[in-house]
Amino acid sequence: MTDILQILILGLALGGVIALMGSGLSLVFGVMRIVNLAHPSLIICGAYVSYWAFKLWGLDPIATLPIAALIMAAIGVLLYRLMFESQAKSARYSEMTVLLTFALAMIVEGFLGAAFTNTQRVTSPEYATDAFFIGSLFIPKGQLYAGCVSLAIIGALTLFLNYSRLGYAIRATTQNREAAELLGVNVNLISMIAFAIGIGLAGAAGSLVSFVFSFFPAKQWEWIAMLMSVVVLGGMGSVLGTVVAALLLSVIAAFVGTWVGATWSTMTFFLALFVILLIRPQGLFGEKPELA
Amino acid sequence: MSDLLQVTNITAGYGDGPAILDGARLTVEPGKVHCIIGPNGAGKSTLLKAICGMLTIRKGDVIFKGERLNGLRPDQILRKGICFVPQERALFPKMTVRENLRMGGYVLNDAKLRDRRIDEILERFPVLRERADQHAGTMSGGQQQTLAMARTLIVKPDIVMLDEPSLGLAPKIVQEMFDIMKMMSQEGVTVLLVEQNAMMGLKNSDWGVVLDLGRTLFEGPAEAVLADPRIQELYLGGRKVA
Amino acid sequence: MAVNLQQADASSVLEARRIHNQKLARQHDQTRATWFPLTVLGVLLALPLLQLTGNYNYLLHLVLFTASYAVMASGWNIIGGFAGYISLGHAVFFAIGGYFSGVLLARYGISSLLTAPLAGLAAAACGYIVGLITLKVRGPSFIISSIALLMIARILFDHWEFIGGANGLSLPVTDLPVQTAKLPYYYAFVLMAAFTVWATYRIKHSKFGLGLRALSKDEVKAESAGINTRFYKVLAFALSAFFVGMAGAVWGEYLTYLRPNIFLIILVSANLVLMCILGGKGTIAGPVVGAILIVAFNEIFVATLGASEINILATGFVMVLGLMFFPNGVIGTLARKGKLPRVLNWD
Repeated sequence: MTDILQILILGLALGGVIALMGSGLSLVFGVMRIVNLAHPSLIICGAYVSYWAFKLWGLDPIATLPIAALIMAAIGVLLYRLMFESQAKSARYSEMTVLLTFALAMIVEGFLGAAFTNTQRVTSPEYATDAFFIGSLFIPKGQLYAGCVSLAIIGALTLFLNYSRLGYAIRATTQNREAAELLGVNVNLISMIAFAIGIGLAGAAGSLVSFVFSFFPAKQWEWIAMLMSVVVLGGMGSVLGTVVAALLLSVIAAFVGTWVGATWSTMTFFLALFVILLIRPQGLFGEKPELA
Repeated sequence: MSDLLQVTNITAGYGDGPAILDGARLTVEPGKVHCIIGPNGAGKSTLLKAICGMLTIRKGDVIFKGERLNGLRPDQILRKGICFVPQERALFPKMTVRENLRMGGYVLNDAKLRDRRIDEILERFPVLRERADQHAGTMSGGQQQTLAMARTLIVKPDIVMLDEPSLGLAPKIVQEMFDIMKMMSQEGVTVLLVEQNAMMGLKNSDWGVVLDLGRTLFEGPAEAVLADPRIQELYLGGRKVA
Repeated sequence: MAVNLQQADASSVLEARRIHNQKLARQHDQTRATWFPLTVLGVLLALPLLQLTGNYNYLLHLVLFTASYAVMASGWNIIGGFAGYISLGHAVFFAIGGYFSGVLLARYGISSLLTAPLAGLAAAACGYIVGLITLKVRGPSFIISSIALLMIARILFDHWEFIGGANGLSLPVTDLPVQTAKLPYYYAFVLMAAFTVWATYRIKHSKFGLGLRALSKDEVKAESAGINTRFYKVLAFALSAFFVGMAGAVWGEYLTYLRPNIFLIILVSANLVLMCILGGKGTIAGPVVGAILIVAFNEIFVATLGASEINILATGFVMVLGLMFFPNGVIGTLARKGKLPRVLNWD
């Protein structure tokens, strides 16, 4: 029984982190209809920020999270202006943008690899290897902190989206971009802000990821499929959906990992993606399936 | 009779494709209902989109109340006083009628003013009042069109442009839509509509504009346009009986 | 106040309309300069004679490499260019082909040059089955599913002991003298490339190809016009897998070893896509031109920048520039502007 509880808690904690990782992806898709294949690579970027802050100056990764988030958000603005702003009126928009983000993912990976080599890295603050012992439960501190911080950030995001004027504009643009524009929303500016927030979220997730998982530039391809399955299951564009799906899949993966084998744990996500695309492409909370 | 809106010989197209509009011209008088007719591909929707800023104008000018609108964004043009309701109606299907109306007042900074106007609209349109908390996506075509048109009134615009408001609607409902437009014009809102159903459009309008091959071929009082034998032959399906 | 019709009567308006429509329609020169690709083929077939005069092994390797890419890119073009479904998972079929022939070679000594078509069929069969599942969704969802497919395949291959798992399989090297060692593969790839180009041309000009083009523009309308879109796109997917698999089969033997971290990486898929983008998606000459460009870029980058990470950076960079400024590729952009030289118009 305690075994099950333990796996459950671990699954939920990791699920929280994965939810944060996927939330930016979902948000950007909702507002701009862009599937950002470069998202995991940008998470890894954020991870490197916290990693080096820790390595060089001993700064705690959770403390440097806001800095990583801001740096990545600024990079997000830059990327939007350089690459995506001009695509808004293009004919094969969804195809073009996916390929662009794919190319961006390669650029980021190449850059990170060249700058920092392909060595596996992990940030190691004290709590990363420490744990809480409650009764016979063994709860790793690092994962727990990361999970809590993630859910807090997502909570703040949800409040922002639902109760601020900017959040209102973002939601309207997500639901019907043309309508929002015709009713006075500067959709270009909103897209830029949403994109920056999305990438900022990636940066924040990166800080947490830096001590929860080990990372290196090429790891992004493993994560892209994992994040995609979470976002697709939850419904593209729905942050709530991403959270639910992340928690659900992480818990399942945790059980699979313990009872079947570690490799199959990752497979859970990929298989889930396939199954979802087959039976309910719009996911739990999403809109009608994508038409080309 | 000063012109509220002047469109002088504009050239416009989609992306870097061919010019759909080439020499389109329009004069819009305050408080009247203007109807644009023409065959498919003539550029009627393109003209409205060019005016409201959704398309780049390559040549020519759009002048509204003496000010040049070329190059402005749709949200900026909205703030100047021109509303556009596209063919797809631009509603938020997951929002309720009330929330859609609220969104209609996005550019108003005074929330109380906006809420007052929403209440006025709901008063005037019983169809909407009954469904105030219903999701817009679940309403019928006629109800959606009513909502789309009513929503424009929240910001009390000078001009409301409608792209094929009768699309997909039963004839009886279509007449109701035209009655709403008449009501709007009587309150001082200038209406500019594109209508595929040329006969009905002209019958319910004050001024008619014929667009073909991207150019304005004919402009005149709606009755004159309806009665012209050439127009009848080209666009109204033959000689008018009686 | 009323502005009169510029033409006096209705018939002159109708005439003006007819002229206007004619101007909008594009004129095409329907003749083809077939002598050009045939001449190129002839030159390539005769090229190895240079070996008699000196060591041109590196040149032969480059041509061989380009040809193999041309085969794969042209194959991918069937689903990515003709049908409009961007697959980022085609490395899977490359691996299936490579491993199929590789295992036969390792166990029974049968050369891939003989088994390549079979390997292609094996890949096509897998493609057909996978296609039945993944082609149910369109656009970005399909692209994502193709990446997931690649990830799944990678894990499976890494853990399948029969084919060597993550360590892969070593394949026997041929015992031909250095001067002629590359020749069998050279000819295999050049002929394969010729075959693939010819096959894609025939596909494009068939009813099947027309159907693919229709569904790439608007699938719903194509379906309501009576085209069996599901069958068409799954078949296109399987055909694309066939060519990629065939190329993989011979490549495996040429490389003399099979490993998941060579065959099942995203870079392989990325290159296929990039070749078609740079060359011109949906055209016949496009993938070939793209293959030449990519190999050229590769050579330049490796010579000047060396390490593999910068290679990835550069590839991504080239892709971004290509997408942003030449979304129709070399052939496509030239064709649009009406400046495509006749010799390059292979459509």
